[in-house]
Amino acid sequence: MTVGLPHFLTIGAALFALGIFAMMTRRNAVALLMGVELILNGANVNFVAFARYVDGGVDGHLMAAFVIVLAAAEAAVGLAIVLAMFRNFGTVHVDTVNRLKR
Amino acid sequence: MLNVETLNLPNWADARAFVPELVMFGAFLAALLGDIIAKRRPWVPFAIVLFGAVTALSYAVAGLDIQAPAKILGDMVVVDGMSSFFRMLFALTAVVTVLFSWKSEEIMGPGREHKGEFYALIALMTGGMMVMAESTDLIMLYLSMELVSLTSYVMAGWMRGSLRSTEASLKYMIFGAMSSGIMLFGLSLIFGLTGSMTFEGIRAALSAGTVDPLALLTVTVLVLAGLGYKIAMVPFHFWAPDVYEGSPTPVAAFFSVGPKAAGFALMIRFFYTTLQPVVDQFDWPLMIAVLSVITMTVGNLSAVRQTNVKRILAYSSIAHVGYLLMAFLMLTEQGLQAILFYLFVYTLMNLGAFLFVTAVNNSLKSEHLADYAGLGFRSPWASVMMMIFLFSLTGVPPFAGFIGKFYLFAEVMRREWYWLAIVGVLNSVVSLYYYMKIARALYFDKAPEGAGAVPVPALQIFAMALLAVPTLLLGVMWGPLKGVADRAVAVIAGL
Amino acid sequence: MAADLVFYGFALLTVLAGCFVVFSRNVVHAGFALMFTLLGVAGLYAMLGADFLAVTQTVVYIGGILILVLFAVMMTRVPSQNAPRRGLDRMVPAGIFAVAIFALLYKVATGTSWPTATPGEALPTAKLIGVKLMTDAIFPFEFASLVLLVAMIGAAILIRERKVLPAEAPAEEAATEAPADEPEVTA
Repeated sequence: MTVGLPHFLTIGAALFALGIFAMMTRRNAVALLMGVELILNGANVNFVAFARYVDGGVDGHLMAAFVIVLAAAEAAVGLAIVLAMFRNFGTVHVDTVNRLKR
Repeated sequence: MLNVETLNLPNWADARAFVPELVMFGAFLAALLGDIIAKRRPWVPFAIVLFGAVTALSYAVAGLDIQAPAKILGDMVVVDGMSSFFRMLFALTAVVTVLFSWKSEEIMGPGREHKGEFYALIALMTGGMMVMAESTDLIMLYLSMELVSLTSYVMAGWMRGSLRSTEASLKYMIFGAMSSGIMLFGLSLIFGLTGSMTFEGIRAALSAGTVDPLALLTVTVLVLAGLGYKIAMVPFHFWAPDVYEGSPTPVAAFFSVGPKAAGFALMIRFFYTTLQPVVDQFDWPLMIAVLSVITMTVGNLSAVRQTNVKRILAYSSIAHVGYLLMAFLMLTEQGLQAILFYLFVYTLMNLGAFLFVTAVNNSLKSEHLADYAGLGFRSPWASVMMMIFLFSLTGVPPFAGFIGKFYLFAEVMRREWYWLAIVGVLNSVVSLYYYMKIARALYFDKAPEGAGAVPVPALQIFAMALLAVPTLLLGVMWGPLKGVADRAVAVIAGL
Repeated sequence: MAADLVFYGFALLTVLAGCFVVFSRNVVHAGFALMFTLLGVAGLYAMLGADFLAVTQTVVYIGGILILVLFAVMMTRVPSQNAPRRGLDRMVPAGIFAVAIFALLYKVATGTSWPTATPGEALPTAKLIGVKLMTDAIFPFEFASLVLLVAMIGAAILIRERKVLPAEAPAEEAATEAPADEPEVTA
C-alpha cells in the first residue's frame, strides 16, 4: 500500500495520544510542556497532510506556521511560570504545589 | 510577477468597522509606552486604558445597530450583530475592572510591582476577547483564544512572591495548554473533513455532503474540550476554583466573566454557524443536556461545601455555565437570544459579587465566610449592593437574574425538555442555600468584639453601583436589553 | 517505493523518539528525544511538500523552543532529589485512555472518506505563504505579533528579580493560611 493521507494522519494521532499520555502521567512541569509540544505537533502534521491531500493550497501551511509561532509564545510564558514556581516552591514537581484548597 | 491590483490588500474602510478593537490595542501599546515614559506614575497607564475602554464602549454602543454583517480584514473577522453585542459587553467589563483595580490592594498596594502593565494587559485582553467573538476563520479562532489565554496565565501569576498566585498561574497554564492543543487537533480534523478554513466554507461543505458521523462526533468532542475549558464546563472545570482563589481578586473577577463570555461567543459562532446543518446526525441535544446537568450539579453541590467566598463564587460561576448550556441544546435563535441576555446579566451580577470580595479584602485581608460576620453594618453600602448581586445570582424576582433565567427556562420548555427544566429549578434551589449563607454572614452573624468598620473607597462603591443599578433596573425594565440581544442574533454572519 | 521507505524512516523516528519523550524518567533525556521527534516531523513536512514549514520547524522549533525547554530543564534541576518513580496506578489508566484515543483517531483517520484530491506536483511554498501573509492573512500576522509581545512582557514580569523587601511583601498569605513551613521565597 503506497503511503497516503491515512499514514500521515496515523502519525498525527500517535503524537497526539503520546502527548495526552505524557500530560496524564508526567509530574515534572517541564515534561508536561513537552507533552504539549507533542500534541501541537500531532495537530500540525494533520494540517500539513490535509493541505497536501485535501485542500491543495497553502492554508494548512499557514495555520501550521501560526501554530509554531504560538507554540514559541506559549513555551516562553509556560517556562517563565515554571521558573517562577521553581523560585517560589523550590521544585518543579506539580504534585507538591497544592496550597489551594481542593 | 504579482499584480497588485488583484491582491486583497487591507484597506482603511475595514478599519472603520473595527474601531473598538483598534482602540483597545492602541490603548495597550500607549499604556506600555506611557508606563515607561512616566516612570512610577501608574495613573498614566490607568488613565490611558480607562479612556480607551470608555471610548471603545461608546463606539460599541453606537455600533449596535447593524443591518448586515461586514466581513473585514481579509474575511478573517466579521462584524455582525453578535460581535457588536459582545464588544459592548467586554468594553463594559474592562471599564469596571479598571476602575475597580485602582483601589485594590492586591494590584496597587504598597510594594506591588508592574502596576502600569496590569492596565495595559487588561486592555490587550479586552481587545483579544472582542476578536474572539468576531473570528470566522480557524486561524483567527485559535490565535485570539491563545492571546486571551496567554494574557490570563500572566495575570493569574501577577503576585509573584505569592505561592498561591504562582500555583494558580501554573494550573491555569497546564490545563490551558493541554485543552487548546486538544481543540487544535479537532480543528485540524475539521479542516480535513471540509477542506476549508473559514466557518462559512465549513458550513457549506458540511451541509452539501454526507460527513462520516464518527469523524464529526470526534471533532465536536475535541473542539468542545477546548471551548469547554474556556467557559469552565464540567469536566474541564478543575482549574477554575483554584485559579480564582489564587489569582488577585480583581483578576479573578475579570476571568469569571470576560474570557467566559468570550468562550461562549466563540462557541455560539462555531457551533451555530458551522455545525447547525448536521446537528441531527448525532445526538447533539442529548450531549449538551447531559453536560449542562453535570455542570450545574457539580458546581452547585461543590459550592455548598466551601467556606472561602471566592471559591463559593467560583463554583457558582461553574453552575451558571450549566444554566447557560441549557439554552444551547437546539441551536435555535430563541436559545441564543436567551444566552446573550443571560450573559449580559451574568456579567453584571457576577462581576459585582467578585468586586465586593475585592473591596472587602482590601482592609479585611480575608476571604473566609467566618470573617464576613456582621459586614452588613461594617460596610453598609457595599453590602447592600452585594445583596442585590446575590439575589440576582439566585434568580429571584424582581432582579435581572430572574428575567435571565426565565428566558433560559422558557427556551428549554419550548423544546419540551421538561426533565432538564426540573433539574435546573432544583439546582437553583440548591444555589439559594449557599448564596443565603453569604447573606446570613453579612447581616445576621454577630461581628467579633472590637471589629471596626470596613471602609470601601468611594471609587469602588461607584464601580459597584455601575453594576448594581443596571441589575436592579433590568429586573423591572428588561425590554430594551432583550431587544438588543434579539437584534444581535438576527444578524449573524454566514447563515 | 523509495519515498515509502523514507516515510517509514521518518515515521519510526518520530514515534519512537516520541515514546522516549513520554517514558524516559530523566527529563534531560526526554528533552533530547523531543529533538528527534521534531526532526522527524520536519522530515514529514518535507515529504508533504511543505518546504517552508520544514525549515521553520527546524529553525524555530528545534533551534528556539527546544533550546528554551532544555534551558528550563537545566535551571530547575534539583541534584539531590531523584525523580520519584511513577506509580503503575497512574500509568495503567492513562495508558488505557491514550490507547483508546489512538484507536479512535486511527479509526477516524482510516475509516473516514476524506474529500481527497489527487495531489499535484509539490511547488515551492515560501512565495505563496509570503503573499498570503501580506494580503489575506495580514490581520492574523499582525495579531500574532501582539501575542509574541504579550509573551515577552509576560515572561519578563513573571521572572524578573524582585526588588521588594520581604517586609513589604504582600500579607495575603499570612491572613489566610499562614505558611509556616514554606516562607515566601525572595530571589
